[in-house]
Parts: sequence; C-alpha cells; structure tokens
Amino acid sequence: MNDLIIGMAGSGGDGVVSAGESLIAAAAYEGYHAMMTKSFGSQVRGGESSCRVRLSTSRVHNPGGALDVAVALNWDDFLRFGAELPVSGDTVVIYESKTGVAPDALPLIGVTPHEVFAIPIADMAKQATGSDKAKTTIVLGLIAGWFDIARESILRGLKKKFARKGEKLVEANEKAFALGEAYAKEHPLKKPRAMERPVGRDGAKMLTDGNDMCAAASIFAGCEFFGGYPITPSTEIMQFHTRELWKYGGAVLQAEDEIAGIGAALGASFAGRKAMTATSGPGMALKTEIMGLATIAELPLVIVDVQRGGPSTGLPTKAEQSDLYMAAFSAHGDVLRPVLAPTSVADTFDVTVQAFNLAEQFQTPVIMLSDQEIAQRKETVDPIDTSAFTVETRKLPSAAELEQYSRFRMTADGVSPVSHPGMPGGNYQGAGIEHNEAGNPTASGRVHHAMNEKRFRKLAPLQARRDLFHIEGDPNAPLAMIAWGSIAGVCREALDLAKAKALNVKLLVPWLLYPIAEDVYRDFFAGVKAGLVVELSFQGQLYHLLRMYVDVPSCVTSFCRSGANPIQPREVVAKLLQASLALQHPINPIATEA
Amino acid sequence: MSSIPVERPALQAKDFKSDLKPIWCPGCGDFGVLQAIYRALAGIGRPPHEIAFVSGIGCSSRIPGYTTAYGFNSVHGRALPIAQGIKLARPELLVLVAGGDGDGFSIGGGHVAHAIRRNIDLTYIVMDNQIYGLTKGQLSPTSPRGLKTVTSEYGSLEAPVNPLLYVLAYGASFVAQGTPADMAGLADVIEQAIRHPGFSFVNVQSPCVTFAPEDQQVKAQRGRMKTLASVGHDSTNRLAAMGLAQTYGEVLYTGVLYKDPAPQPTLDALVRERQAKLALEAVPRERILDMFLQK
Repeated sequence: MNDLIIGMAGSGGDGVVSAGESLIAAAAYEGYHAMMTKSFGSQVRGGESSCRVRLSTSRVHNPGGALDVAVALNWDDFLRFGAELPVSGDTVVIYESKTGVAPDALPLIGVTPHEVFAIPIADMAKQATGSDKAKTTIVLGLIAGWFDIARESILRGLKKKFARKGEKLVEANEKAFALGEAYAKEHPLKKPRAMERPVGRDGAKMLTDGNDMCAAASIFAGCEFFGGYPITPSTEIMQFHTRELWKYGGAVLQAEDEIAGIGAALGASFAGRKAMTATSGPGMALKTEIMGLATIAELPLVIVDVQRGGPSTGLPTKAEQSDLYMAAFSAHGDVLRPVLAPTSVADTFDVTVQAFNLAEQFQTPVIMLSDQEIAQRKETVDPIDTSAFTVETRKLPSAAELEQYSRFRMTADGVSPVSHPGMPGGNYQGAGIEHNEAGNPTASGRVHHAMNEKRFRKLAPLQARRDLFHIEGDPNAPLAMIAWGSIAGVCREALDLAKAKALNVKLLVPWLLYPIAEDVYRDFFAGVKAGLVVELSFQGQLYHLLRMYVDVPSCVTSFCRSGANPIQPREVVAKLLQASLALQHPINPIATEA
Repeated sequence: MSSIPVERPALQAKDFKSDLKPIWCPGCGDFGVLQAIYRALAGIGRPPHEIAFVSGIGCSSRIPGYTTAYGFNSVHGRALPIAQGIKLARPELLVLVAGGDGDGFSIGGGHVAHAIRRNIDLTYIVMDNQIYGLTKGQLSPTSPRGLKTVTSEYGSLEAPVNPLLYVLAYGASFVAQGTPADMAGLADVIEQAIRHPGFSFVNVQSPCVTFAPEDQQVKAQRGRMKTLASVGHDSTNRLAAMGLAQTYGEVLYTGVLYKDPAPQPTLDALVRERQAKLALEAVPRERILDMFLQK
C-alpha cells in the first residue's frame, strides 16, 4: 500500500502525541510525505489526547478519512475523538487488552473491523523497561512490524529523543520497540499491508506546522517586529518569534491586550520596520479599530488570523472558515484590505511572503486567514528554494522628494513614498483623521473623496494577480470546485479521486480572497455545468462573497458545514458524481447510475 | 535617551513650531503646554526628525501636529501601545506621548500600567482638564464627584481617578506635575522628564476654558498651587510622593514628585542588549527554513 493513516488515543500521560511525532519525524527522514494532526480533551493537563498520522508515497493534501490503523490505549479516551478517529471495517484495531473489552465486542457502533488485536501493551512495556511509560514505544514497534515502515528511522529518532535522559532509557525503549515488532511478526495480519518505499527518496524533507512556517516566512520576508497577545490557535507564531526575532535585530512585545499588540506593531511600521501581529477571531474583533488606522495612515502591516470555531470563544481548538466576512468587511468607513489564505503548511511560506510584499508594496494592512488545522498540523514539506522569492520593501522618498515632502502625494498608481521618523526632511503627521496630501487634518469632502479613491486605486493591480490563484485539473472541465484554506487540501484529494472515477473536474484555489478578482472567477465559471464552493463554515462565506461581486451561475452551489465536522474528499466526489449524473438525466439521476 | 550629536546649530523653541494653527479655543491651557514643549525640546536639542510624537484622540491629542516632529495622531486611548512599538523599533528616537485624561485614564487606562512596568524610555504628558472638551463637556475619569455636566445632569456619582497616585503605585520611574499657570516650571519638568531614562509621566493641569467650572481655571489654580520645593519634598521618596499625591484635586503641587534615584534598565536598552547578544546565532534570513529539515 502507498497511503497509511494511523490514529491513536490515550490519556494525557500516555504520550500518544509524542509517539505520533516520532513517527512523522521518521517518515519525513525516510522521504515519505506525511501529515499529523493532534487533538486534546478540554483539560489543560492530564486529559485525553489523540493524534492522526498519515503517511504516503505521494503528496498528502489533508489528514484523510477513516483510519487504516486505530490504536486505543483505553476505549473511553478513544471514543471521545469520534470525529477525528473514524474506524471502518478495514481498520486494523489495536487496543490495550487490560481494558477488558472482548475483540468481538468493541464499543464501535455500526462497524465490525476485520482485524482486531487485544494486546497487553502495558505489560509488554513493563517487561521491556520496568515501567509502563513505554507503551507507545511498543505501539511504534507494532506499526513498524506490521506495515514495514521507517524502522531504522524510528529507532534513530527514539535514540535521539531519549539520549538526553541517559543510555539506559535508550536501551529500554529499543527493547520495547523490538518487543512490539516481534509481536507483529508472530501475529501477522490476515491481509498483509506492507507500505511501499517512498519514491525517489530525493533527500530529507522539512517537517513543521503552519504557525512555525508562518513565523519563519515572516523572518524571511524581513519582519522585524511582532506585537501580539496569546490566543489559541495562533500563539505559536508569537512563541517562535520570541525565540528567533531578536537574532535579526527585531523585537517582540507580548502586549497587555490584543489592541496594544496591533498598536505596537503599527507603531513599529510607522517607524519604518516591517511588522506583524497574529491572533484568532476574538482578537481580530478587538484589533479592528487599529486596522482602520493602518488603512487611513497607509502603513504596511500583516495581520494573521488563525481561524477557529466562532462566534466568541466558540471552538477554540477546531478549524473553521468563518472569519472571512470579518476579514473582508469588519471596518468602519470605506476600506479595502487584501485578504489572503494559505492552503497548506507548505504554501503558508508563499502566502506569508506575499502578505508582507503586498503590505509593503501598497502600504496597507493585509490579513492572512490561516486556520487551526493548517496552523497546528505537522506536515512534511519539500525543501523550498527561497532564492525564487522576491522580497518587497516600501517605497521611500528620494532626496529630491524630501526637499518638499508630501506624505500622501497623489501619484498615478496611488502609492506615495513613505518616510519614517529618523529620516531628515520626511517629517509628517501620521493620523487617523482624514488628511490632505501633506498629511494635515481636513474635513473637506472633496479631499476625503480623493483620498478614498487613492486608497482604493492603489490596490487595483491586485485584480490582475493571477499568480494568486491556482487552477488544477482540466481548465475546460464542466464540473468545478472552488475551495480555500485547509479545505483546498480536501478538494485536491477529491480532484484526484474524481479523476480516478473518470469525472472531468477542475478546482480553483484562491490565495487572494478579497478583493474578489472578478475576471478570474468569470473565466473560471465559463463553461461550467455544475460546481461546488466547498467550505468549512455554516454560512459558506466565500460563496456568498462571490455572489456579491460575480455573476455566479446557478449551477454552482455552496457545500458547507460548521467547523469541527471535517469534510471528506469522498463526500465531495459523491456530490460531483451526483451532479454529473443529474446533468445526464435531470429527472432521475439515481436511475441513470443504476 | 541616546547622546546628542554636537555639531548642530543650537535649536530654538520656534524650530519645533509647525505652520498649523491649533483648533483649540482661545485661552485653552493646551496652548501653554505646547509652548512648554517647544521650550523643553529646544533645551534637549534633538532635531525634530529624531522625535516621534504620538497622541490619541481629544483636543489635546492634536498637539503633535503643532510641532515639526514626526507626529502620529492615532486613535482614542492607544497612543501608548503605538509609541512603545515605535521606541522598540527605533530606540534611538526621542518618543513623546501626549493626550487627555480621558485618553490616558479612561479608554486607554489599561495601557498605562503596562508601559510603566516595562519602564520603556518615553515621556507621557497628560493634559488633565477633568472634562471631555472635544465632544463638548461630558464627564471624564478625573471629573470631581458631584460635577454637573451634560452626562451628569444631577452631578457625578463617581469618585475620580487620581492619575498621580495611579502611576506612582505602578512604579513609574519619573512623575511630575505642572500647569500652564507656571510656564517656566512646566517647561522645566517636561525637559527633566525627557532627560530621565525610563517611563516618565507629567500630569499637566491644563484647564478647559469652555467646559470646565470656574474653580479649574488658571486664575483659580493660582490659589491652589504649591511648588514641591516650597514644601521641602524629597523627590527620591516614593512614599512621600504618594502622600502628597493624595491631595490631587485639592492642592496643585507642581514640580517633580518622584524621580527614581537609581533608575532600572529601560526595556528598550534591554531589548538592544538581547538583540546584540543573539545576533551571533542568526542564520541568514534566506536559510531560516533549514531549522525544519529532518537531518
């Protein structure tokens, strides 16, 4: 087999997440494509935790659906993660025999898996190491034994992981791993499922999550200031910066609140430095006023919103795509702010660099809408050639322009060179109040209109940025999907599945969500006979946003549901198939299928 | 404050005056504060382009625009966070912050404590007039109990914030009070505040001629004014300063209430230190992703 999904659940101290990390690190080292998501119970410490690791010999676009392997260190914990750890009849179920559950009486409703192993995992761990702490090492041995994956790399990783704690612990874990492996060899699967080796094995991959990738990308893009306030699921961006940004002459301010965080970042931008803040929905709401200030003061600023379920506290640890309206519209006054969204850990690099570049180029706040899944899942990423990226910096006034400097001078493209404190001759008043070209306050309707026009005009080139959109599949296909953020990964896999079913489908993935690039969508809709805008929100916000600006054909509909209800590629394909059949026989598509 | 380059011609108060005509009412206390700032800045001698002057919203928050410094007339209550970002981004700048009592102790009140505990090197001047002037005479956080305004038809039911006690209690490194009724004294405390390394606070009793009651006006102030020198106050004694600050609203003490005799390192200095120390560990920005490689 070439694609394997492993899910594990246990109590806080069991270390299932740590085991998942060992597994994905080994897979990355071997050259597999891999993705890992984790999920925790509501307790801060000691509650149940789970992880899913998906390994593949080809690109992994999303965490996948039903598990190939389910590991339950105890059933209560496992069952709490129903949505994250779905079990099918083909799932190999491994569980702790101490739980006392009979293999033919698993507490799984409506499914009887073919291969079930009740294993004395804790006892085996004790036998190997004298303690039951090594339970997950036994599990790694079982997985390596049955699925023939990454054996050497897992052992290498365990060695590295436990080396700090002494040679004794390394040996004990090696023993536990061997015990697990031996068990697997003695109890072969009815249907052997050895993983294929990674193709090409073109060297080691990167392994990281979206938040760390975003922070690293911001440093590449020249960020020198981070101001923010801790909020799930964005906090790791600030944490990364508190480790790294100082090294680059930058500074980090963990502010007293969300407003002070963006305020300080805007101050740093006024002072001529590239600056960012990161938050989630509730924090975005608080930052709105200062985003307005950034717009009217025409200062570059990158605002990352790692979306979670809302409104209010909502579902802080689950992804949702329900902040798009807020990103596009939560402004006082006439405001146009670019809104970008990455679709994977890998392209979080590209999109973050784009966000900084657009902010600098157009002297505007730019919102990057990440989401909990991209932000906190670990993904293997092929090495990125950073020399292929350009880094933009804001247009500074020339010596001649400084002779008679006018901060908000009307220019052909609407972008006026911007000075900063410390620059002789560039002195001006930045302000939230409407201002004339020199930067002085005004209440003139004529000037206000002209300045609004300038602030919108300078962003017009965004409409032509086709590089911020990706069309995948046959561009003339009659069946179409549009998806953004983490759901784009679901639709990418749906596209592959649809192709395998000989369906003729195309997929549009926008990085730029707002302003709506009308021509891009108009061209995409041409010739479409049926389509879906697939989103993880109750409303289907992109679908409605599109309808505001583009003549969306009535055959294109919204397929959406609230966060924490993962959309599966197969569901999307089923919808497309249905649409295709309906096109062939609109009255009774099911009969056509039969 | 970083050192002053020597080979510049001496700056005068007028070099800090911009061409904009203030929107303030004739007789507004803020005119005096503006003059005092010009004088203080001339005394300091840093050229205007090396100064960032940040304010919030309110009559007094228009003040940066009347100077030749880089100004940022931002949003209500957020001058301090913005100023801190500026100072951390360019520590070599002289950063001034100004605003009214509403800006500093009502809508932006939550930021004051944190600017103080960070001890970041900036000077915060509050023009305290106990009233909301720009919006035409509503209660402010420093309005005395019982004050009748358009939002307290029958008199205010609330006790005022005491700005002096507030900043002293949070450990401000430099605290002074002044009034435009004593221009020389006001210019002097502002200059001292700027020279002091760390968070410096100057409360200015700057009367609103239009909406404040008679007993707040300059004429009435003269009867309440007492220089701290005249009462023999030891400005290195925080507890003594807090004792005098209790009289806020009754006695108008002018001068330096508190000046830390052994100032703690400023946040901006600590940040620079950390940057210098960690600079050696930086991999080139274009190789930042190497840390994710599974080697």
